[in-house]
Amino acid sequence: MAPGPQRRTELLRGVLDLCLLAVMDEGPAYGYEMTKRLRERGLAIVGEGSIYPLLGRLERDGLVETHRAASNGGPPRKYYRPSSAGRLALALGVSEWRAARDSVDAVLAPVKVEVAS
Amino acid sequence: MSDFVEQCRGEWRRLGVPDPLAEEMAADLASDLAEAEADGVSAEELLGSSAFDPRSFAAAWAAERGIIPDPPARPNTRRRPLVLAAFTAVAAITLVVAALLLATGQPRVSLAASRTGPRLPFTPANPLVPPPTHRIVQADASASAPVEWILLFLAVVALGFAAWLWTSWGRSRPPAAV
Repeated sequence: MAPGPQRRTELLRGVLDLCLLAVMDEGPAYGYEMTKRLRERGLAIVGEGSIYPLLGRLERDGLVETHRAASNGGPPRKYYRPSSAGRLALALGVSEWRAARDSVDAVLAPVKVEVAS
Repeated sequence: MSDFVEQCRGEWRRLGVPDPLAEEMAADLASDLAEAEADGVSAEELLGSSAFDPRSFAAAWAAERGIIPDPPARPNTRRRPLVLAAFTAVAAITLVVAALLLATGQPRVSLAASRTGPRLPFTPANPLVPPPTHRIVQADASASAPVEWILLFLAVVALGFAAWLWTSWGRSRPPAAV
């Protein structure tokens, strides 16, 4: 059985693209800004990989639009926001995620968790 | 931080990523790393385990962007020589066996020539019984040996195919790490 951090990484891997689309849907964001938004919600990028290859894939698949703009007094940054295809993918993905989450909850909900102190 | 970016830049150069794209990615990465450092966020927190492997990180990023072809899956790379070696060995063994059969003629594996054997003489004691017709199948020693030749031909073709596969595999192997 996978240890806690490893399972968390594996769970996150399947939905990280949705999370990125969701945070950039709140407003255009550059790479590090997205990790900050994720972190504010308790989603730290740990374990394997990072968001950059994933952003590259979203860009290649036409799910995001990009533009360059100056950040707050800093150098120009590449800002991402969902394209119309990206918003559709986000909506479908969220629907799939909720269905999967509900199914897993139905199985796991009866389990009583006792944490030994 | 800058060392990490420089290693990424070197990997993109090695992989043939166009300079404008490499510069764009390097600039974005350097800015993000600098901002993270100012916030007290480590490179590992930003990049995960990729923080310790800039070359793989750079290659993965470029591949996901579609700038370079996806790197081949490692398990296939490892398994391919074994499959190829087995295929080549089978072809070589077949070639040797076919050649030996042709050279020695033993055991003769040939298509049998069938023909109707000599009819027995008609016996007037039982004239109502029609004379039996025996189909005598004989191995014709003078017949050609097509099975051996077919085996030989197949083995040669298979060895040629194996040679081509080995050559193409050798060309597709990534260069050794410097």
